[in-house]
Amino acid sequence: MESPTRKLAFNVDAAAIAIALTFAALIRLNIIHRITW
Amino acid sequence: MSAQTIPFPTAARQPPRSKQLLALLPGTLLLFAIGLAGKALESLGIFLRAHHHYFPRIEYVLWAIILGLVISNVFSVPAIFRPGVATYELWLKLGIVLVAAKFVFADVLHIGGMSLVLVAIELALSLTVMTILGKIFRLPPKLTSLLAIGSSICGVTAIMAAQPAIDADEQDTTTAIAAILALGALALFTFPVIGHLLHMGQQPYGIWAGLAVDNTAEATVTGALYGDLAGRFAILAKTARSAFIGFVVLGYAIYWASQGQAARVERKALFLWQKFPKFILGFMALSILASLGFFSAGQLASLGNLSKWAFLPAFAGVGLRTQLRDLVTQGWRPILVGVLGEIFIALITLGMVLAVYHHGAAQ
Repeated sequence: MESPTRKLAFNVDAAAIAIALTFAALIRLNIIHRITW
Repeated sequence: MSAQTIPFPTAARQPPRSKQLLALLPGTLLLFAIGLAGKALESLGIFLRAHHHYFPRIEYVLWAIILGLVISNVFSVPAIFRPGVATYELWLKLGIVLVAAKFVFADVLHIGGMSLVLVAIELALSLTVMTILGKIFRLPPKLTSLLAIGSSICGVTAIMAAQPAIDADEQDTTTAIAAILALGALALFTFPVIGHLLHMGQQPYGIWAGLAVDNTAEATVTGALYGDLAGRFAILAKTARSAFIGFVVLGYAIYWASQGQAARVERKALFLWQKFPKFILGFMALSILASLGFFSAGQLASLGNLSKWAFLPAFAGVGLRTQLRDLVTQGWRPILVGVLGEIFIALITLGMVLAVYHHGAAQ
């Protein structure tokens, strides 16, 4: 890959926090019951 | 880590947002495919060994990296996948924020606080040594600055943050990034061996990896290769280290401005906030929620498992973006300065961690 530092077209930190908190809320509200590994 | 709201590569007219997001799909699928293949190979190995067949005892983390390395270094990554491969950073940060649910906030403050002290010492020593090495090997001064910043704080992210601040040219920046990435790949394979040779516990090893390995991704992987717990502590120490990025870059920006070779920083508080890695706030928020009993034990386990799923494509991305040939194509002097500097940083951080844990200062 010629560009290991390619930038994304959105704010990665904000997206990561938003996705994490969304999943945390879905799990807390038992909408998602269990995630296995 | 702070300024990712940057337009897609330099086209005169940007494609619509929907097209930009669509372009991420092939590479994102490739990341997940490699990660899942790594997990499948680990399961296959367990199955075959249980039935008395030989199969290498390799965990999914290493499989994902090996598969990524082979694809990018033997076959090269087709252009259609490249935008999506860059999303490895999103999965990495998502995994880091989620793994905070496994930390009690008091531990974050205690271990994170201890890490901050160690980071401060490491920063002072490594910046000094890298600067001296750069002078000895007659590297361009701004390349030396970039290598010092990259190796002392958080690798590529720190270099990218410093480039505009110190007005470094493209060639120096590319060289510094290539050197830091190549050296990070070496750490993946050497640190776990050293950890086992020294019989290090999961926590001290993880703290060491977080303090010594430059990039957040490589630090996370280097920790995870030693064990789940080591991976979590590597993230905690690395997060504490990343928090310094603004201060170090600001220091270099002020220095180069005083030399008349970079623009003055007028609003320093705003500069620090812009450079601050915001995902740390998400990490702390989730750790506080978990510590307040917001989640049941089963829900915490689910969040921990979700963080593992998020790390899976991130590990694949570490392999895919690593070009081992950069070890030879960037010229021997930056690589030699990098190698010597990294060995120094690894040794002083190892000494500090062993001293702290030997004296029982951290539990």
